[in-house]
Amino acid sequence: MVEALISDEAFIKGCAAIGAGLAVGLAGIGAGAGESGIGAAAVGAIAEDRGFLGLGLLFTVIPETIVIFGLVISFILMFAY
Amino acid sequence: MLKPEKMVKVAVVGSKGKLSLASEILYRMNLLHIESPSETEDFKIGTPSEKAGQISRSLLQLRSYISYLKLDPGKISVKRKFSKREIEEKLSKKLSEYQEEIGRRLEELKKINDTLKSLEAERSTIEPLKVLGVPPNLLKGYRTIKCFVGFVKADPVEEVRKITSDFDLIIKNFEDQLVLALFVKTEHAGEVYRVLQGFGYKEIAVPDVDYETRISEISRMEEELNERRKKLEVEIEELKVKEADLILAIEEYLSSEVEKAELPLKTLVSKHTFVIVGYIPAKNAESFKKELEAKNLVVEQLSFEEHEMPPTKLNNPGFTKNFEVLSKTYAIPKYKEIDPTVLMAIFFPLFFGLMLGDMGYGFLILLTSLYLKTIFKTEGWQKLLNIGLACGLTSIFFGFIYGEFFGPFVIPGSENPNEVHFIGDTLAALYAFNHGHPIFDRVEEFGVKALLFIVLMIGMFKMLWGFSMGFYNVYVEHGFKEAILEKGCWIFGVLGLVFLIFGFSYNLGIFTSPPPGGFGEILPKNLFVYGNTVMEAKAVPLPIPGLVDGWQAGLNYFYLATLPLIVIWLVIFLKAEIPKMGIFGAIMAVELLTWFGQIISYARLLAIGLSSVYIAFVVNYLSLKIGLEPGMAILPLAVVIMLIGHFGNFLLGILDPGLQSLRLHYVEFFTKFFEGGGKEYSPFGRVKKFIEDGGE
Repeated sequence: MVEALISDEAFIKGCAAIGAGLAVGLAGIGAGAGESGIGAAAVGAIAEDRGFLGLGLLFTVIPETIVIFGLVISFILMFAY
Repeated sequence: MLKPEKMVKVAVVGSKGKLSLASEILYRMNLLHIESPSETEDFKIGTPSEKAGQISRSLLQLRSYISYLKLDPGKISVKRKFSKREIEEKLSKKLSEYQEEIGRRLEELKKINDTLKSLEAERSTIEPLKVLGVPPNLLKGYRTIKCFVGFVKADPVEEVRKITSDFDLIIKNFEDQLVLALFVKTEHAGEVYRVLQGFGYKEIAVPDVDYETRISEISRMEEELNERRKKLEVEIEELKVKEADLILAIEEYLSSEVEKAELPLKTLVSKHTFVIVGYIPAKNAESFKKELEAKNLVVEQLSFEEHEMPPTKLNNPGFTKNFEVLSKTYAIPKYKEIDPTVLMAIFFPLFFGLMLGDMGYGFLILLTSLYLKTIFKTEGWQKLLNIGLACGLTSIFFGFIYGEFFGPFVIPGSENPNEVHFIGDTLAALYAFNHGHPIFDRVEEFGVKALLFIVLMIGMFKMLWGFSMGFYNVYVEHGFKEAILEKGCWIFGVLGLVFLIFGFSYNLGIFTSPPPGGFGEILPKNLFVYGNTVMEAKAVPLPIPGLVDGWQAGLNYFYLATLPLIVIWLVIFLKAEIPKMGIFGAIMAVELLTWFGQIISYARLLAIGLSSVYIAFVVNYLSLKIGLEPGMAILPLAVVIMLIGHFGNFLLGILDPGLQSLRLHYVEFFTKFFEGGGKEYSPFGRVKKFIEDGGE
């Protein structure tokens, strides 16, 4: 049925777009889960010592790399197909 | 620059009687970083001079006033400086004056606050009784009747009736609770009490006063006390304004006296002589020696051994000094290490601008920093705001390149700039350059692709650079062989990764196709080992034999160069790790993947920026659609959306690029070469703020 409605090329393009979305979205969920723990700990540390603010913020963004990986994958998917 | 300042180790020696003179001179010079000494048979650590105890008592008292008055020496700009002589003359008089004027008032304030609190507590017991309306003499003093007076959560009458019918209950609403007076015969008292407890009974102690008169009395007293308190606070505030400079000057004087008096604790003394060992910057060595020798003290230059660690005095010129706060947050470099502050000063604003890249936000950051600079005068703030200035400037620069002013004003596919930006036409005309602007458009496909490649190039470059500097650091400390084993092998490994990424990009056509597919034909099209074409290679960007059919088509010379580099890396790596960890060392080779991840991590330079561009774009587009014809034409709503949207994006635009830029340095760059763990140079002495220089 599908073959009758859309071309192969369009089908691949669509799948690539879905894949790209999943790559960013799932990576975002993962990074969020990672950051939640660090963020809570950082807030605790900052409550004890205000001077920790800078370092705490920094620790919190460390898992964000994972989203960047997802983003790069999505770029490659979008560019390659 | 790039290296902490050179230090020399010196010993100051003199006869014991001259120790206090030496401490005066050393304190004034503010140069000698004193090492805590260890005792020997003949040389013991000295004892602080006698006056130390008394001075520190006065200091402690003064500091307690300072903390009550909330005087922060860091936040107060100096209006008048005092000479040391003036302070010495006034010292004892002023100290007793402060005790009288400030200490007495503070004590009185404390007393008033205590009284107010107890009055408040009393009022809170009388008021419910007043609501109850039973005079105190009727609430107590019975012999056969027990009277419960207090708060309950609900009316207990039903439960009490189950115990006895012979009782009397008065119950009234008071705020969100009930207040009751319950009279029962003493023989039922125990049971009734248990019932009341079930209703959350809280007893009120009934005082022997007339409610009305006592409450009005309390109110009158409270009024009087509050008035007195206000008066005292005004007086203290007046004193604070008048005396702030002098108080802080005296504090400065006393703390310097304490430090001087405690110098013997860092000094080795024998029967007749003393020795102070410490470090001074090499450039000051001559003058240091001359000045002390003029007072008949001996200065001996010592050589320090390999394992000794002199203090680190960061030595960064001019503007780059502002960035020391950022690199010091990570660690203080060891004396022999490379100090990365200058690199930070170059790359931090650059990365920030590369990410934010918007003229409008850049101007806002610039103006905010300039404005805050006139308000927050302390050194720390000024440095931070100078960093803000640099970041604002780079944002404007990159904003000009990207063609963005509070969002992009030319969007590919849209003919009319006014559709996507509130002053799109004007901006497009201003920067047109015959339609050559934006110079580099990161909103359209080619821009994203090119920028992705550029930021990865930056990543690879910084990765290799970081390892090279790590190589240098290890080479200086442990020699060439160690350096190759520890850092050199990674240079080969990362170089292999670089060729891998280039090979992949080449297969995608980045170097061979015209825009928007790539950068144009900057490399020949025939770099394929099996003589394939670009079109064929595009199907197999990553040629892995056995995994991908027709992998031969994708094999280019970049991939070919990757192979030996990885092999060299692996050989050196195994040579370094296997003796240390045995066969498990080989597993450690997966670490190469970490470096690959860190190169890819530089893609955030593109990603953070893109998110901010699109937020700005959406805000503009939305508000234009809402505000103008042929949209909804509700202009006020559009303005509100635009202001809130851009303000939020602006805040994100400071926070995120700032943090991510910092992170790219700390995690991806510093870890390659920067160990830190040095101790900061803190010379004996102090920079005077409230006391005049000289005159000693």
